[in-house]
Amino acid sequence: MENRSIQDVQKKIHRNKLIRKILLTLAVYLIATLYFFPILYMFLSGFKTEAQAVSPSIFFTPTLETYAKVLSNSTMWGYLRNSLIQVVGATTISLLLGIPAAFTLVFGRLKHRDSGNKYYLWFITTILLPPVAVLIPLFTWFQQLRLINSPWGLMAAYVGFHTPIVVWMVHSFFSDLPLEIFEAADLDGTSKFQQMRLIAIPLARTGIISAALLVAVFIWNEFFLGFNLTGNPTATLPVYMSRFREQQGMFVAQLSASSTIAVLPAIILGWMTQKALVKGLTMGAVKG
Amino acid sequence: MKTLNKSDYRFLLPAVIVVAVMTQVPFLLTIIFSTLRWNLSRPDLGRAFDGFANFWHYLKIDSLSQIPEFYTILWQTIVITGMSLVLCAIGGFLLALLMDHEIPGVNIARTLMLGPFFVMSTASGVIWKTTIFNTTFGWYGVIAKALGFTPVDLISYHPLFVIILLFTWQWMPFFILVLLAGLQGIPQDLVDSMKIDGVNWVQGVFRIKLPLIMNHMRVAVMLGLVFIIKEFGLILVTTAGGPGTRSYTLPYAVYTQVFLANNVGRASALAVMTVVLTLVLVNLLYRSIVKRNEKYS
Repeated sequence: MENRSIQDVQKKIHRNKLIRKILLTLAVYLIATLYFFPILYMFLSGFKTEAQAVSPSIFFTPTLETYAKVLSNSTMWGYLRNSLIQVVGATTISLLLGIPAAFTLVFGRLKHRDSGNKYYLWFITTILLPPVAVLIPLFTWFQQLRLINSPWGLMAAYVGFHTPIVVWMVHSFFSDLPLEIFEAADLDGTSKFQQMRLIAIPLARTGIISAALLVAVFIWNEFFLGFNLTGNPTATLPVYMSRFREQQGMFVAQLSASSTIAVLPAIILGWMTQKALVKGLTMGAVKG
Repeated sequence: MKTLNKSDYRFLLPAVIVVAVMTQVPFLLTIIFSTLRWNLSRPDLGRAFDGFANFWHYLKIDSLSQIPEFYTILWQTIVITGMSLVLCAIGGFLLALLMDHEIPGVNIARTLMLGPFFVMSTASGVIWKTTIFNTTFGWYGVIAKALGFTPVDLISYHPLFVIILLFTWQWMPFFILVLLAGLQGIPQDLVDSMKIDGVNWVQGVFRIKLPLIMNHMRVAVMLGLVFIIKEFGLILVTTAGGPGTRSYTLPYAVYTQVFLANNVGRASALAVMTVVLTLVLVNLLYRSIVKRNEKYS
């Protein structure tokens, strides 16, 4: 008798636990879906016709008509091309400048022992600088140098603002590498450049890739400088999105299809960086 | 040894020079511009040193009954940033607790929730404005009508609410990500001993878990602050600073001063004050982190 009642109680506890877990799972999925809903709905609406898109609905017969229309629009391609030029160019240059700098700050020999720290802090303070603080001089320079209608001006500004982020993130990944390897490499007579290229970069590969992807996402999404420092031939996708309603009018399906094209690359790249995002951006600061 | 020193600086200097030329030098110029009387639409007046007149124009209070617009804009900037950060911190913490459970496919849910963080703010602004906040065609309008309300146009009547909501939507995922990393760093034996000691949920969460991840929280708030305070695109596409100047923030005011009013001097003064505000707030937060670290180590 007693045995059975204990079993009953155990069963009941087990059942309650299971019910709790199922409810919890449902709650998590419901909240996550609701949170993601605006993006999901945008994604769905791109497959509607304009007539279907006018009233909110989730169930409809999908069509590729709107995407075909949006993709045949040559203005969108121009903005897309400009965005790609900025992302590829500015990310590459930021990495070329930022990785050697981070390497030197972690493993290099500088004049004083704390010089490395000072430069590191200096890079971080530049991240705090809001772009409005540089906008006016950059705008006057670019006008005088006729850079507003060429991609180089904006790219230089992006390099200036994103190199510190590369330094910050890559610094935290290099700091994880064991110092002994580099001391041994010093004894073997390898140059610092060889040490960086053959040891440090391959070992911190995943971190560096994530830093690159994250910087690419930041540049892809950047609006303030892209809006104020470009002319029509050089404007990027965020600028296109900001002008959509005044230029193309109130076409919900086309708007949804265009923003899906503008947003999806960043979301996918962003998802790939999520682990490194936490580590690279916060761990240095959490440790203090 | 000397040659080694030189070669090491060779790796560092290109980055330092480029960053300095593109950020530090323009900022110094902005400070210089802020002391000039310089209006692009009045080239006849030229440029002239004007001391602190540009700052004074914004800061001067003639009478207490008529507080100048600058203070309203400053207040709006602080309210938008502060409220968004508070909501992100509370919501982010609660959702991180929820996402900390071991349930099937929890990674999919976590990934979905992170999505809004990577969406460009102009696109999310336009999408929310058209498909949700629109009083006739948006979800908000349709649902409100189905429930028997007459939907108010939130964007014109409650612009700050809309902006705060969208900033929170965009930044809470980042808080969840960082706080979740903190929660998962709490050693399992501590969680187990909490259960054995019979600590209830509220005590466990607010007396034990929250203090343990306080540094994660501060870092999330600090990064959120730096990025939200300078946000511009979302305001431009949703409310365009309006109605009137009711949803202006300092960066938005800089934009209108330089591109619509052509007043370089005054815009620069506003830009300098934006930087000062950012630095003051970041410094306050940073000090609290350092103080706390000293207390615990």
